[in-house]
Amino acid sequence: MCFKNLPIEFDESGKMTLRGDGTAFDLRRQPQTIGPKPLSDEQIKSLLAKNGYIRDVDFDPVTRVAGALAFHAVADLKERKVLTTNSMATLFRGYEVIMLGRDPRDAIFITSRACGVCGGVHSVTSCLALEMAMGLVPPPLGVIVRNLLLEIEFNYDHPLHLFLLAGPDYSRAIVEQTNPEVWEKAKSYHAPGRDWHGYETIGAIMEDLNLLTGKLYLEALHMTRVAREAYVVLGGKYPHPQTIVPGGVSTTISLQTFNEFYLRLQKFFDYSKKCIAIWDDLTEFFYTANPRYKEVGTRPKNLVDCGIWDDPESYDSTYVNCDRWGERRWSTPGAIVDGELVTTRLTAINAGIEEFVDRSYYETWNGQRFPRDPSGNPLSPFHPWNKETKPKPTGQNWKEKYSWSCTPRWDRQTTEAGAYARLWIIAAAKKLRPNPFLEPTGTSLKIKLPKAARPEREVEWKIPETWNAFERNRGRAYCIALNAMAAMNDWLKGLDLLKQGKTEVSTPFKIPTKGTQIGAGFWGAGRGWLTHHLVLEKGHVANYQIVTPSTINASPRDPWDNPGAYEEAVLNTPLLETFDDPADFKGVDILRTIRSFDPCMPCTTHIYAGKRVISREVNTCACGADDEHEHSHAVATAR
Amino acid sequence: MRTLIAGVGYSNLSDSSIGPIAAAELKRESWPADIKIDDLSYGPISVVHNLAETRPQYERLVLITAADFGAQPPAMRWDLWPAILPDAEDVQARVVEAAGGVIDWKNLLIILQQFDVLPREVFVITVQPVKTDFGMELSSGMRELLPEILRVARVLAMNAKPEVVQPTVSNKA
Repeated sequence: MCFKNLPIEFDESGKMTLRGDGTAFDLRRQPQTIGPKPLSDEQIKSLLAKNGYIRDVDFDPVTRVAGALAFHAVADLKERKVLTTNSMATLFRGYEVIMLGRDPRDAIFITSRACGVCGGVHSVTSCLALEMAMGLVPPPLGVIVRNLLLEIEFNYDHPLHLFLLAGPDYSRAIVEQTNPEVWEKAKSYHAPGRDWHGYETIGAIMEDLNLLTGKLYLEALHMTRVAREAYVVLGGKYPHPQTIVPGGVSTTISLQTFNEFYLRLQKFFDYSKKCIAIWDDLTEFFYTANPRYKEVGTRPKNLVDCGIWDDPESYDSTYVNCDRWGERRWSTPGAIVDGELVTTRLTAINAGIEEFVDRSYYETWNGQRFPRDPSGNPLSPFHPWNKETKPKPTGQNWKEKYSWSCTPRWDRQTTEAGAYARLWIIAAAKKLRPNPFLEPTGTSLKIKLPKAARPEREVEWKIPETWNAFERNRGRAYCIALNAMAAMNDWLKGLDLLKQGKTEVSTPFKIPTKGTQIGAGFWGAGRGWLTHHLVLEKGHVANYQIVTPSTINASPRDPWDNPGAYEEAVLNTPLLETFDDPADFKGVDILRTIRSFDPCMPCTTHIYAGKRVISREVNTCACGADDEHEHSHAVATAR
Repeated sequence: MRTLIAGVGYSNLSDSSIGPIAAAELKRESWPADIKIDDLSYGPISVVHNLAETRPQYERLVLITAADFGAQPPAMRWDLWPAILPDAEDVQARVVEAAGGVIDWKNLLIILQQFDVLPREVFVITVQPVKTDFGMELSSGMRELLPEILRVARVLAMNAKPEVVQPTVSNKA
């Protein structure tokens, strides 16, 4: 039984059935959850009255994240704890609305624009949804090329986050300012991974994490280029490739392109050895410097992922077989609840997802067009296939609506998406096909990194005892190795196909012009979970719903007032920063927490286009939304 | 002098796309060997990577872009870019925006300067757009101004002497 809260049970054959009657999905029953509860407004007001150290902490925008995210917290600076939190996506995304009535092929190119960082993931996910709707199966090499593109895209993504966005939080410039006692210790603290990263001390690592000038920052900038080059060698263009099509890819593949790809891929063998050593050393150093760093960004071990990187021999695009082909992926689909793997079945993962809009600037919708999925399993009225996007901007109010992000929940629990969810689920599920590079053990994932300029190295990511900001970053470093070696597996398979003369990369298709078809793309972005659910009517898009990782993570509270993942993680974060005067408080622990999720808000929110086009900057006000009167929810300026 | 004439901006935003449109027009012309034309709208970080490997490096950049400088549209002005770096946090914020897909001419120039690939002499031709909606067509006013934009770009690329080029506003159209 993988659901604690949804009224869905499994019979002996594993088929899902609805428990109770048609009202089983109603929202009156309080779900069982394990996350923290923020203080009520009354409790905060009472504390405010007697404690001069309680203050609003607003980050608007949260810097060093892609896109528009604002964060509001109330913190007790004397007790050094956070009392309440609100995560705000400050712009409307709107792709679901833009897609309505269009030719479904437009989805590939339009939804791709949801993000310039994850520039290839949406086009593939939309193709998967179309393939399911049309019953279209790509040839093996088409599947392999698609895998390779996304494996290498993530190795653009992770270095960017680890060293350009999150990395500076652990740099000398920041640590010396916010925690001078930690910097003092770091200066002479021996770095155990010296043989792999080349640094004698943690202080030297911190020095090179300095933004703009640090060697690790500049090296990561260079590695993003290597990954992009590898992508365009196969995919032609990045971001927003034109070569991703339903039924495969439209690019020409040869031994030469494969070799050119490999020349770039192999640079990540050594780079991942280095990144892992750096983030292992940094994490363990901070835990030693102050064990309470293990509490920074901690939240329940609830993670979900759809898996990614298909097995060309198994993938047939159908929903009825998706449990089988999903479990054959290099990254196994799964849901982790309270640290336990509860399912690896895509049908269960799909049945478990719901989206709520109670705290978001949208209207609710009526009706439930699809009470069951194509295999006959029950679906919630709040499932993406049933959801409608009805934007309704209103005043910002913490007690009511305060975000353009919806609230996705899995089994009505706050879950988290992230690259590291892949590591965790692969490790726990032990379902990988035999291969020379990746070995899950049930409690860890061993990754064998081949010799390049540096010797071969086997690294082992272990399922962490505590789940926090540091483990997110450490996991992301291991994901660079995971991506590289999944790519290596696919590259070898691709060579084999070329040798056999199986060079076809796409299957012709025709868009159906009659009837209703539904499909879903179960895939992933650099930051984890990505789904596109579509409904076609007479050849046109009748509904299109995108759930991105940052929508899951940045979500506001749910109908039961349970916080979203960012909100939970910040609520649990102790304020370990050194300051005597509250005026000197920088909020570095809160920022480390938020950034550890690798927020990428363009896919969660995008543009607000009334009568004009917003092509640039948006500022919001996160202050004082507690007031009863309406506030302007967003001030947008075009320039 | 090795010179790059470039446009920058989003596509399909009517007059706001004047940078890429002007670059495409200029590409059709014949140019001396030391003058190249490009569209630099593919992301400042990638532009850094490409310019870092360009040999010999460019000494002059003439950049064409749309921007609101408060003039009655359609109008254009050209300036010598002062190349003063803002503080590190500001630069970092621009790098993050660039990584997230934002195309912006100031971000481009500041990021190129931060990573030491900005040509030593930079002229910016900014154009005050009439129409900024979605669309592939220029407004009629901008279409009339386009030949002047291209002429100024040619002059700045081939003849400019920074000391005699004053910041200028023109709305001849």
